[in-house]
Amino acid sequence: MTETTNTLPLIDAQNVGVSFKVDGGIVEAVRDVSFTVHRGKTTALVGESGSGKSVTARAVMRLLSKRAKVAGNTRILFDGQDMAKLSPNDMRKMRGNRISMIFQEPMSSLNPIYKIGAQISEVLILHQKMTRKDAWARSIELLAEVRIPDPDMRVNQYPHQLSGGQRQRVMIAMALANRPDVLIADEPTTALDVTVQAEILHLIDDLKTKFGMGVILITHDLTVVRQFADVVHVMQHGEVRESGPTEEIFSNPQHAYTRRLLASEPKGVANPITDASETVLQGDKVRVQYMLRKGGAFRGTYHPLVAVNDLSLNLKRGETLGLVGESGSGKTTFGQALMRLIHCNGGEISFLGDRIETHDRKAMQPYRSRMQIVFQDPFSSLNPRMSVRQIIEEGLIVNGIGTNAADRFERMKQALRDSGMPDTIGNRFPHEFSGGQRQRLAIARAIALEPEFILLDEPTSALDLSVQAQIIELLRKLQREKGLSYLFISHDLKVVRALCHRVMVMQNGNIVEEGPVAQVLVNPKTDYTKRLVRAAFEIAT
Amino acid sequence: MTPQDQTTLVPDADAEGLDSRLSTVDTQNQSYFRLVWRRFRRSTPGMIGFSLVVLLLTVAFFANFFAPVNPKMPHDGFAPPDQISWFVPGDGPEAGWRLLPVTFPIVESETLDPVTFQPLMGPDYANPRSLQFFAKGWDYTFLGIPASRHFIQSSDGTPLHILGTDKLGRDILSRGIVGSRITLAIALVSITLITIIGTLVGITSGYIGGRFDMWFQRFVEIVLAFPQLPLYLALASLIPVTAPSGLFLTFVVLVIVGLGWAQLSREVRGKTMSLRQLDYVRAAMAVGAGDGRIITRHILPNVMSHVIVAITLGIPGIVLLESFLGFLGFAVKPPLISWGLMLQDAGTFSSIGSYPWILSPVGFVLLTVFAFNALGDGLRDAIDPY
Repeated sequence: MTETTNTLPLIDAQNVGVSFKVDGGIVEAVRDVSFTVHRGKTTALVGESGSGKSVTARAVMRLLSKRAKVAGNTRILFDGQDMAKLSPNDMRKMRGNRISMIFQEPMSSLNPIYKIGAQISEVLILHQKMTRKDAWARSIELLAEVRIPDPDMRVNQYPHQLSGGQRQRVMIAMALANRPDVLIADEPTTALDVTVQAEILHLIDDLKTKFGMGVILITHDLTVVRQFADVVHVMQHGEVRESGPTEEIFSNPQHAYTRRLLASEPKGVANPITDASETVLQGDKVRVQYMLRKGGAFRGTYHPLVAVNDLSLNLKRGETLGLVGESGSGKTTFGQALMRLIHCNGGEISFLGDRIETHDRKAMQPYRSRMQIVFQDPFSSLNPRMSVRQIIEEGLIVNGIGTNAADRFERMKQALRDSGMPDTIGNRFPHEFSGGQRQRLAIARAIALEPEFILLDEPTSALDLSVQAQIIELLRKLQREKGLSYLFISHDLKVVRALCHRVMVMQNGNIVEEGPVAQVLVNPKTDYTKRLVRAAFEIAT
Repeated sequence: MTPQDQTTLVPDADAEGLDSRLSTVDTQNQSYFRLVWRRFRRSTPGMIGFSLVVLLLTVAFFANFFAPVNPKMPHDGFAPPDQISWFVPGDGPEAGWRLLPVTFPIVESETLDPVTFQPLMGPDYANPRSLQFFAKGWDYTFLGIPASRHFIQSSDGTPLHILGTDKLGRDILSRGIVGSRITLAIALVSITLITIIGTLVGITSGYIGGRFDMWFQRFVEIVLAFPQLPLYLALASLIPVTAPSGLFLTFVVLVIVGLGWAQLSREVRGKTMSLRQLDYVRAAMAVGAGDGRIITRHILPNVMSHVIVAITLGIPGIVLLESFLGFLGFAVKPPLISWGLMLQDAGTFSSIGSYPWILSPVGFVLLTVFAFNALGDGLRDAIDPY
């Protein structure tokens, strides 16, 4: 490893430009992006999806696909050395050795058929020509470095035996195996639960200081940037809009886009509840369990897995109730059981005073127009073969709302206008719209039926930050105008704070805490809630 | 403050403005099939396959028009293919280059084959016959209308054997063209029935699920495991030789369908099961749609793309099966003509060695199989690019 003075940047990228050949032309994905990475510092590339931040990092690693073309004036210096002049062979030696990368998805970046130890050893054997035995011993040390408990035991395990956060730690251990000078972290925590996120980011930060690495952090999460980056480059449409030291950018943003991005952090509070107190939806000791089969082919026994354990809930008119928890805590199951979309094994559910827990699908039909659902993924919740008009009118036709076709058409247009879309798009198909626009269509489908209650199942978590803010604003507006009640399922406490009156925190099928938003989020009682709150609002632990 | 700064003071209004980028003028829709067609046009093999399939179906539909010679009329047995040329060799009055192609009649020459002592056949360069398009030839009826025009004819009305003749002296090209009707008809009728049965059964089983699905799939497995060939052989001995050919054909189609639907129903069932889990089907349940509506509006259209591909890839299999069964003499009985039946003549090694042109039905089968496979592959890439 060559010694360089601290003033010289490790990576000095100037005018990085990347274009892709597509049907009928060339798309410029990245244009004139310049940044530097210094030893012991974190440079963050921030932007929404499609802003070109990952492509920029891949250009540095020279890991772009064959369709990509790097612009002629791109100059990337690594330790004073022009990377464009390196042969593919030298480049391969550089990758994983002096520059390492960790990816978003820890599930798919580890090979499921090899032990953890073998996968870390491979990197060491390849680049440092270690013997298998030394490499194995070193793997255990590395696992200890990334703070995996019982490294002696874990080294013999397979990826599926680790949790998501542990897998990401293994990825970091692999990336650090050769003591790289630069670590590129491409959305390292996006696929992880909020509480795990903080731990991983702290780990990267500590290792950075310990080994004097330069880190390129690619993320869309402004909280993460504020906490961990020294220098920020805000990207939009493949160009850097603004760059500078983190504090400066956050305290005094210059560019319009940066300001809008900062302003899109969910803010505000829920509408005050008008008057009160007619109960819209009530669940009492609702229970959902699945039977899991254990044992051999012929004498298997069934064990119940309780997804929702005797939970109760009460939702008033005009109220938004947040249902919060990490993945697998049973919040979606609970919500869909309350709507009778999945079978429930016990308890009482009443909707507007009518008991519905024993109704079959036919008996539920009269209630369907009054309770609606908006799903998390706007890409799978709209039938690709139906036009917008067909999608929105389906509920009207099924429920016999509207006197004739002209009336239904008018109602469809009204629903589109209400959800902030132009009313002339009825003939178009879902694939012509972006994620945020699709989510608006899903909301239009729900409100066309003039429901009294909508189950919102993570409606904003698949969306970019600025689009998220628009959807929250739309939901608040609709609630104000139509007196809707929402059951809002989310893992993002920031959105919950902006939208909900009350919140229930779920863990492993149980409710661990509930109360008004102001109380639960400001003054959490249980450890679990405290961890969630910390992870969401400060990251620092 | 610049005007730009002023607009951004209200970030939400600006963000809302983003959605107004949506063109409100253009209500022209890009329907699903338009998109598929756009992607399909990009695939070269797919377009070649598509053109070939169109050509094949056209030729099969107007078979008598395209057949230059009456396929049932015997001429000289095992006559080799006529030579088609734009140049007449020699020094006769006809010699030289021509604008329209000519053929030379095949005649026996004076010399004998040194091994078999049979007179050698060869083209008679002294008497070229010019070719005519859309000329009058043998009489036929098309949709009940008597006609006698043909795509290509020799000008003096002598039979034109572009691919030679078989052992009874019947024109192979004409037989191939007319035979494509039976072969393609068997394939199309079978695949239509297979599609209807397979899709219905698959969707039903996949949508209902549970215990019904479990037992029904065991039945499907039995059908899939059924050995095909013994069934066809048994069939051949089951039907009396004197049975009318129509009955025989119906039986062949029924057996192909009876064994063929299971595979398609399996695929459709799997697709249905995964579609049933999707959010948009759940959303349809949430608006209160019934099973019938969910199946016809949400599942069937999304399964159809898969089925269309299965159809185009299924046709070659049936064409091959027909040629195979015909070769063994089980599928089609004379006087009907099919490609498999024509290949029966090519059963002995000696006749292939002496008269290689009787293998040309293999070319027809090859062409058909390639055409539908290429079309199917292109369609699959266009419909489901991932």
